[in-house]
Amino acid sequence: MPSDDATSGVPLAQLQTRMAAALLAAEPAQQGLAEALFAGAQPGAAGLRVHRHTVLGALSQALRHSFVSVDRLVGENYFDRMALDYARRRPPRAPQLDVYGSDFPEFIAAYGEAQGLPYLADLARFDWQIDELARTRPADRARGADGEALGEAAYSGVSLLLEEGGARLRFPSSLRCHRARFPVERLREAILAEDTAALAALDLQPAAHDYALWRTSEGVKVQALSPAAACFLGTALLVRDGAAALAAAAAALTASGNHGGESALVDLLTREILTAGFVQIETSAPRPAN
Amino acid sequence: MDPIPARAGIGLRTPHHGLVRSDVPAAAWLEVHPENYMADDAALADLEAIRLHYPLSLHAVGLSLGSAEGVDDAHITRLRRLIDRLQPGLVSDHLSWSVSDGRYLPDLLPLPYTQEALRIVCRNVERVQEGIGRALLVENPSTYLRFADSELPEPDFLAAVARRTGCGVLLDVNNIYVSACNQRLDAAETLAGWCAALAPAAVFEMHLAGHAIVSTAAGTPLRIDDHGDYICPAVWALYEQAIAWRGPCPTLVEWDTRLPSFEVLQDEAARAQSCLDRVAQQGSLAPRAPRQVPMPSASHAL
Repeated sequence: MPSDDATSGVPLAQLQTRMAAALLAAEPAQQGLAEALFAGAQPGAAGLRVHRHTVLGALSQALRHSFVSVDRLVGENYFDRMALDYARRRPPRAPQLDVYGSDFPEFIAAYGEAQGLPYLADLARFDWQIDELARTRPADRARGADGEALGEAAYSGVSLLLEEGGARLRFPSSLRCHRARFPVERLREAILAEDTAALAALDLQPAAHDYALWRTSEGVKVQALSPAAACFLGTALLVRDGAAALAAAAAALTASGNHGGESALVDLLTREILTAGFVQIETSAPRPAN
Repeated sequence: MDPIPARAGIGLRTPHHGLVRSDVPAAAWLEVHPENYMADDAALADLEAIRLHYPLSLHAVGLSLGSAEGVDDAHITRLRRLIDRLQPGLVSDHLSWSVSDGRYLPDLLPLPYTQEALRIVCRNVERVQEGIGRALLVENPSTYLRFADSELPEPDFLAAVARRTGCGVLLDVNNIYVSACNQRLDAAETLAGWCAALAPAAVFEMHLAGHAIVSTAAGTPLRIDDHGDYICPAVWALYEQAIAWRGPCPTLVEWDTRLPSFEVLQDEAARAQSCLDRVAQQGSLAPRAPRQVPMPSASHAL
């Protein structure tokens, strides 16, 4: 913006660009502004330190709030180093800090210091999914298979028929599938419980781990899924077609060496889908027992 | 829309949602930061339930009224949606900036009080008022540095913004104290400067809060507006001075860091209320300002 009436010459736009850069700078040599810009009882450097502390502290805190188990696992100092590095490179573009950090997991994946913890980025992705779901508005009047309140509103998401004239499955609008390379659910659980024995016992070799996540009035629920069940649910949520979901599950069973055909498919559905807390079955027949 | 009464209200923070929603504790009114409720999520569901029982004010921190690059239309739209949904009695933000080159820095960064900055702030306030369809209150921030370029004292600057845009003023008494102390100025004289620059009717709300004292690298004390403690005696004394000048006015107790129990906030609000009651009693002998504060209007010439 032209500054025809700016006084000693630094237009406001330029001053703000320089000040923002100084506040986000990592190198001490770049953190200052010329003292001639400032007047008054405090040196400008002292005021800038206060603002830098506020800005970076708020960003680090926002990330800590969303990536709870990453923070607990690596500790405050390590987390702050990663968070500040991220905040300096990728400051938010909007003032809603509760949604800041969606690409923090990818940053962690490429973060040099974290290379010794190959599961850390996966854990961060899982933290983000849980936090994002926890922020969603809970459905009213809901009642689930395990007794928590869930109702009509909770099942306003995908519904599908498994066969013509058969039962209709209805899923919560919040339901989503999540795939990880590490057992992130048990990892997160052990970290938050500070259960070092459970942590030590975890097999942290890379392998596919699938989960269903959904929101109830009680909080976020997680259920581990077999690869075939994950194929069924992922397809069901994506294409909303029962036959396609069954075909995907059957193909996944075959690919895993299970050639049990229809009975294997029925067994899979009974064990992992029809009895799950995230499904409502619309049928006059009684619901399958757990 | 419930108007905000000329009484002492409480800043509502997320950890108190459950208690306020279930117990509906006594509070004349509540104020929240709208940026925490801009998604149609669990927090907004809580606030909508709470809103049924209390007059509500929205105190924004993200409009960046001092940004040379202008205000973000998307953020104004989000705020407008929330206003339509919650029907708050007052809407406010700060005389500061937080956005530069599209990057949001979560702080209330200071402005040089120049003619250029005045033009920019007025343009931005007008844009926001058009976007939200109502007048805004603008709050004086705490300051930790002062620009050599400043041509106007802060009170004159904010008074000019109010005159030119029709916005109201949210006078933060703790911020006046913090800024005065950090610039080694007498706080009572500084407040007197504010009272001289502003018409009492321009002030639609006051804020009270606690602050911290730290030591700079040079070993000098610096007061930090962290909203993390009880309101200090010097700020209470300034508040008495401010409302004696203004008359009873909606007054908020803010507490953000090291958040105590809601009862502590109620106690602080009760103390502010007793100050307001004393002034109202004196005012009833010689009426000076209305108890029910009217909404500022964008076309209101101050």
